[in-house]
Amino acid sequence: MKSNRILRLTGALGLAGVVATFWLGLFVTPNAEFFGSLVRLLYVHPSMAWVAFLAYGMAFLSSLLYLWPRTRHPRFDHLAGASAEVGVVFTGLTLVTGSIWGRTTWGVWWTWDPLLTTTALLFVLYLGYLALRRVPGDPEVVARRSAIAALIAFIDVPIVYFSVTWWRSLHQPPTVNLASRHLYVHGIMAFTLFLSFASFTLVYAWLTAQRYRLYALAEKEADEGLDLALEERRAEGVPA
Amino acid sequence: MSTATTPAPVAARQSAAATRRRLAIVGVIIVAALGFLVYKGLTSAIVFFKTASEALANRAALGNSTFQLEGTVVHGSVHHLGGASVAFELRQGGATIHVVNSGEPPQLFRPGLPVVVVGHFVGTSDSFASDQIMVKHSQQYIAAHPSRVRAAGAKKSPARP
Repeated sequence: MKSNRILRLTGALGLAGVVATFWLGLFVTPNAEFFGSLVRLLYVHPSMAWVAFLAYGMAFLSSLLYLWPRTRHPRFDHLAGASAEVGVVFTGLTLVTGSIWGRTTWGVWWTWDPLLTTTALLFVLYLGYLALRRVPGDPEVVARRSAIAALIAFIDVPIVYFSVTWWRSLHQPPTVNLASRHLYVHGIMAFTLFLSFASFTLVYAWLTAQRYRLYALAEKEADEGLDLALEERRAEGVPA
Repeated sequence: MSTATTPAPVAARQSAAATRRRLAIVGVIIVAALGFLVYKGLTSAIVFFKTASEALANRAALGNSTFQLEGTVVHGSVHHLGGASVAFELRQGGATIHVVNSGEPPQLFRPGLPVVVVGHFVGTSDSFASDQIMVKHSQQYIAAHPSRVRAAGAKKSPARP
């Protein structure tokens, strides 16, 4: 009951935050020097990429916990699957918003720049992971196989993040630089940027929790379905 | 009875082993591919573009092959040719390359900015023919000064009918 209320609150706050981000981003924040109004994509694109990273990080941790014998529990398999699924959605959104921004600032929808290439690889890797989760088999074997795949796919996440510093890229370095703790944007623009990070993170939490609940419900249904079938067979008087 | 049922579990075990083997091979390939990417990154071997000075230094080897060239658009060098073509000079590390681009440059294209152009050297000359300009920009976003915009607008207003 209590967790239900927290979940509902998370969803409501996330939605309110996204609405506020769009209002601030479209109507309140000023145009930027050089970029003009093109700067407004700053309030959606980086936060979506952040959520994708966060989602894959969560899938990585849950998969580790699943593989670790002492913490092995189906709930970690479900959490990894739920988080990765939301991650794929946000990677797709990152690619789409990035492409739109690229067309207006760089002048191209797409180029095989290291950052773009590794991000496209990230999208395909996790699509593969989601496909692997659906390969039929013994639930435990499938869960273990998926967990290993999640660990492998995660290798690409730091590669994506550091590609702009390791290689020659068309893409600029991150505006919110974690390594040097430097922020390249100020005032209401910085506030809106952070609000977008916070709101999309809440949206991520809400979506992942809902997807996780679906996994649990699907498992319950499968178990109860089996019990029901067994009971029916017994009622028919067929010897087991 | 029992002899008839034995083949099924054996086959299942065999196919499970085959599946595991196949998954292991796929896993190894993915790890190898990612490892290769990291290795290339650490040795700085992946080059999305060549800078103007690198391109001139390797002029003979590059021939007329297509590649991405990077440099800063020189102030005062931009000339609009007939049609949508534009000519300008790219400078980087003391090297200057004359570029003729066919096609409209992107909206943010202007002198003083680093750009990446896609194209090739023309004939045996050091001039470059491109068909795509990509504008590099920084990660800094600075609010435009509203009063400056208004001042510019005010200056222009007398010219309006």
